[in-house]
Amino acid sequence: MIPATLRVTLIVAVICYFVIILYFLKQKALNLKYTLLWLVAGLVMGTLVVVPELLVKIIHIFGIQENMNGLFIFAIGFMLMILLSLTSIASRQNRKIRTLTQELAILDKRVRELEKRETGL
Amino acid sequence: MEQKQRVLVIIPAYNESENIVHVVRHMMEEAPQYDYLVINDGSTDDTPDLCRRENFHYLDLSINMGIGGAVQAGYVYARKYDYDIAVQMDGDGQHDIAYLEKLLEPIVNREADVVIGSRFLEKEGFQSTFGRRMGINILSGLIWLVTGRHIMDVTSGYRAVNKMFIKIYSEDYPMDYPEPEAIVAAIMHLGRVKEVPVQMRAREGGISSITFKKSIYYMIKVTLAILICRMGYGIRRGKREDI
Repeated sequence: MIPATLRVTLIVAVICYFVIILYFLKQKALNLKYTLLWLVAGLVMGTLVVVPELLVKIIHIFGIQENMNGLFIFAIGFMLMILLSLTSIASRQNRKIRTLTQELAILDKRVRELEKRETGL
Repeated sequence: MEQKQRVLVIIPAYNESENIVHVVRHMMEEAPQYDYLVINDGSTDDTPDLCRRENFHYLDLSINMGIGGAVQAGYVYARKYDYDIAVQMDGDGQHDIAYLEKLLEPIVNREADVVIGSRFLEKEGFQSTFGRRMGINILSGLIWLVTGRHIMDVTSGYRAVNKMFIKIYSEDYPMDYPEPEAIVAAIMHLGRVKEVPVQMRAREGGISSITFKKSIYYMIKVTLAILICRMGYGIRRGKREDI
């Protein structure tokens, strides 16, 4: 089982993690919408630190023998999910920027024409 | 003939300071009855300055979006100002304005929704290099495979579309290397795609956007894009209501 000192370290780490997220949220450096996944990750980590037996049980359900291997597989899987969602967010923003740039260019042309008409009068 | 249709010639230009003035002036001389719109795609040379000095009609995209985003800006403009037909013509002088009428004819006569100016129908004029022709043939075959339609010059950027496709393309136009993908989208929207023979010239100046090094990436990217585009429409065996 996990030694007591390691458990304390991990608990402190999880608390730090939450403090950082909440700090970012307070500074409005993170959208709540995109933070939910990170908060869920924190909750899962917290639960596993407090009740490590849970991890062992879950890992065995999936047929993984080594506890540490299981932990890494879950962690990597979770990060892949987050990266995928980030790529999707970037793509969506790309699309929005495209629309804005196009609309801006059309407006810019309209303004130029109006200015020309005004100075022409 | 019915009432006169309003035509907008979209001329995307990225760092085309060597060609753009000549291309637009030529267009104004040969086809003054049609409106044109240069799209400066965030050029880093003096393309926008030339447009301003020459008093051209132009859109100034503040960031470089690639040919797809630039052309789409033209379609958005055409839709906003209610044009009946939009034509895409490269800003590098490859496309000859003399063929504009041939390109417009099938649309004016309501025989087609999308008309592509094809180098390979009569095999005249600049035929591109052997390697590129092979690549184009492969993509042409792929498009035939996924849509059942034979289009020869799938990478030609000299095209005309009617009002229906101005709307479709203004809402959704492929990015990066959009030409072959746009054909698949047109066919899947049950558009009548027609090729007309045109002659193209080798570029008059500047450099082509597709270097030899990029061609492998180009083929992979476009193949994937065609397959994904085709998948996006699922099985489609419908009839259009308006024809």
